[in-house]
Amino acid sequence: MLLLSAPFDAAAVRPPRALVGGCGQVLLVVGPVAALGVALEGVDPAWGGLGHALAAGSLQAGLLAIGWLVATGAGRGWRAPVSRLGITTVGATLIARLGQWGPLAFVLIPLMLIREARGRVAIGAVGFCGARPIHALTGTVAGGFIGAHLLVTASLTLGYHVHVSSLTVYLGALAYDVGANVLSAEWLFRGALFTAVWRRSAFWPAATATTALAILRYLLDPALPTAAEARAGAVFYLGLVGLTACALRAWSGSLLPGYLAGLAFFAAYRMLTP
Amino acid sequence: MIALPFGLVGILVAAIALTGQGSDSVLRHLYLVPAVWAALARGAIGGGLTGGLAGLLHAPIALPAVERAGLTSQTLDGLLTLLLPGLAGLLVGWLVDGSRARAGRLGAVLAIQRRLDGREPLESALTDVAEIVRRTLRARRVALLVGADILSARLVSVPTGTLVDRDCAVGFTLATGQSVASVDLRDDPRVRAGELPAPTPHRGLTRPLRSGAGVVGALAAEWIGEVPRAARAAADELAVHVGLAVENARLTLRQQRFAEELAEKVAAATARLRELDQAKTEFLSVVSHELRTPLTALQGFSELLLRSALPPERARQCLVYLHTEACTLGRIVGELLDLSRIETGRPLDLRPEPVDLDALMERNVELFAAEHRDHSFRWTSTAPGSAVHADRDALDRMVKNLLSNAVKYSPRGGCVSVSASPAADQPGMVELAVEDDGVGIPAEQLPRIFDKYVRLAHPETTTARGLGLGLSLVKALAEAHGGRIEVESLPGKGSRFRLVLPGLESQF
Repeated sequence: MLLLSAPFDAAAVRPPRALVGGCGQVLLVVGPVAALGVALEGVDPAWGGLGHALAAGSLQAGLLAIGWLVATGAGRGWRAPVSRLGITTVGATLIARLGQWGPLAFVLIPLMLIREARGRVAIGAVGFCGARPIHALTGTVAGGFIGAHLLVTASLTLGYHVHVSSLTVYLGALAYDVGANVLSAEWLFRGALFTAVWRRSAFWPAATATTALAILRYLLDPALPTAAEARAGAVFYLGLVGLTACALRAWSGSLLPGYLAGLAFFAAYRMLTP
Repeated sequence: MIALPFGLVGILVAAIALTGQGSDSVLRHLYLVPAVWAALARGAIGGGLTGGLAGLLHAPIALPAVERAGLTSQTLDGLLTLLLPGLAGLLVGWLVDGSRARAGRLGAVLAIQRRLDGREPLESALTDVAEIVRRTLRARRVALLVGADILSARLVSVPTGTLVDRDCAVGFTLATGQSVASVDLRDDPRVRAGELPAPTPHRGLTRPLRSGAGVVGALAAEWIGEVPRAARAAADELAVHVGLAVENARLTLRQQRFAEELAEKVAAATARLRELDQAKTEFLSVVSHELRTPLTALQGFSELLLRSALPPERARQCLVYLHTEACTLGRIVGELLDLSRIETGRPLDLRPEPVDLDALMERNVELFAAEHRDHSFRWTSTAPGSAVHADRDALDRMVKNLLSNAVKYSPRGGCVSVSASPAADQPGMVELAVEDDGVGIPAEQLPRIFDKYVRLAHPETTTARGLGLGLSLVKALAEAHGGRIEVESLPGKGSRFRLVLPGLESQF
């Protein structure tokens, strides 16, 4: 019992962390690279795909990097793993544009994250660890249920079609979710941020705040449909998925169930066609 | 338990979908049933989840109508159906949680007061109290410390077994009376846990236990993960009640101990009074007997002298007897007078002077040797000058009492040794020792041997006469001289009385 066994010093304060400085350095790198990608996309249509990939990849890398900084407290030696992770993310995003099997490169990102996280206790403390099968199954079922609900509601309400026009495109989108979209959301919002806020407050404030940030991140994504009902639906479902993932994270102590819930949800979402 | 309301929601949704009435179906109102059911069973989370599930499953039925017809009264009703079960479940669940928490706290307070009613030792009662507190707070671990500081406090923890650091958070609460709250003990800079943060926060809370006398202890609780909403308020309330209950229990235990001690003292005093009463009765009987014996002799011989014309030799013999019995009577009366003086606190009339022990002892030894032919008497002295500074009569009475005692408790005869020597442990004092090889005194009787009216019962000394006053008088006289008397004895081996009196060099 730590209240009895651990020495206590009422006057002790938390040493200052270099979090703001670290995040600033990440933005200093991510910002110009993303701007370069956007510029390439606007200047020359031939380079447009590459520019889009560069911008998207750098932003995903930025999310992963900020998650890393928050999780480790921007302790010494953060630049090397964050750089390797960022290069892998941008590289994988660029490779994904190269051909039919290119999206498989997205799988490199979680592999790189696992490699960098190995042996780092601070990373495990945000829930980047394995989960019991029942937790993983519950996450998959919950995400699948919300995804199925999205399919039924969108098709009945907005008249969206549920079908997969191209299996290759569908699997490519799924690979993007596996390696970038869902991974970065779970890593940053449910892993680093939720854990940090939950350590300082109760579950509901932490879950609400981090889910709101996650929704904001998706609303800023230019790929999201601009129609009001689509945006309202996005807010509702992303909020539901976010809160579910937070609950799964708190229940299981692992990011994996929430990650599987996100994957299951996006697997359904990718089947929707307006 | 939550599965049944979930199932009912599923059945209702299926029924509404199958009837084809869409969002107008009256069955939609029944969503409240599983929502409230779950709220009653599992509180706000159960009610909110079930109501939310009902709204979620009803959405594909209600939303298409909104999309087709826009916002009309009917479609608004459908939209309300999406929200209402969830809100109702949350509200009912919140009320249920609140009442359960309040009821739980009250129940815990009553249970704590029952356990700490002072009928059981505090240690075992505290263990039960800690378990009650743990259940009420729904905590992983709870510790109760009762005492002024961390090292001497009585510690009870559930589950049992924990290390204690003298500078821990609970010690801080005990020392300062301040509470400590930590949202994550492993990530709290104030707590040097030595353990890295875990995915789930390790919450902790301490509260001082207060009574009228100040801080009497501390309560500590730890949770892994979420702390129940009402736990903090419950911890405050329980800390107050535990503090007061602990103080009450301690007072009750102290009162019980005091009452027991008092009862023991009263019982001992009563027994002593009974003993004294019995002794007085026996004393009266013995005194009557002791007085009657010489009186009878006096009466008999005086009548003989009055009525008969005895020859001179025979008359002289009677007069000797009369004198002896009168002396005996005088000694008894003298002892009774001394006793009366001692009991009323009046000082004994002593006239100290140098007394030659050789002369005094030789006279008494001769006297006793003449009266008790079965015994041999031996007098030796190593004291310089063999003299003490004492009242001659009092010293004579003391010596006679000791010799009489030695003879009385050596019924088979034997040797009575009397010796004088300088007291080894007290310079300036003279030690007069009277030693016999009689029946001796059992160890348990030794502390009472100098009490008044105490006569040792021994099968071989039942015929011995006496008032049970001799030794108590010797003690009182010795103390009045500034001396003392001690005894060493072994049953069956004899006794040695050691009378210590001031020598010629010392005054009293």
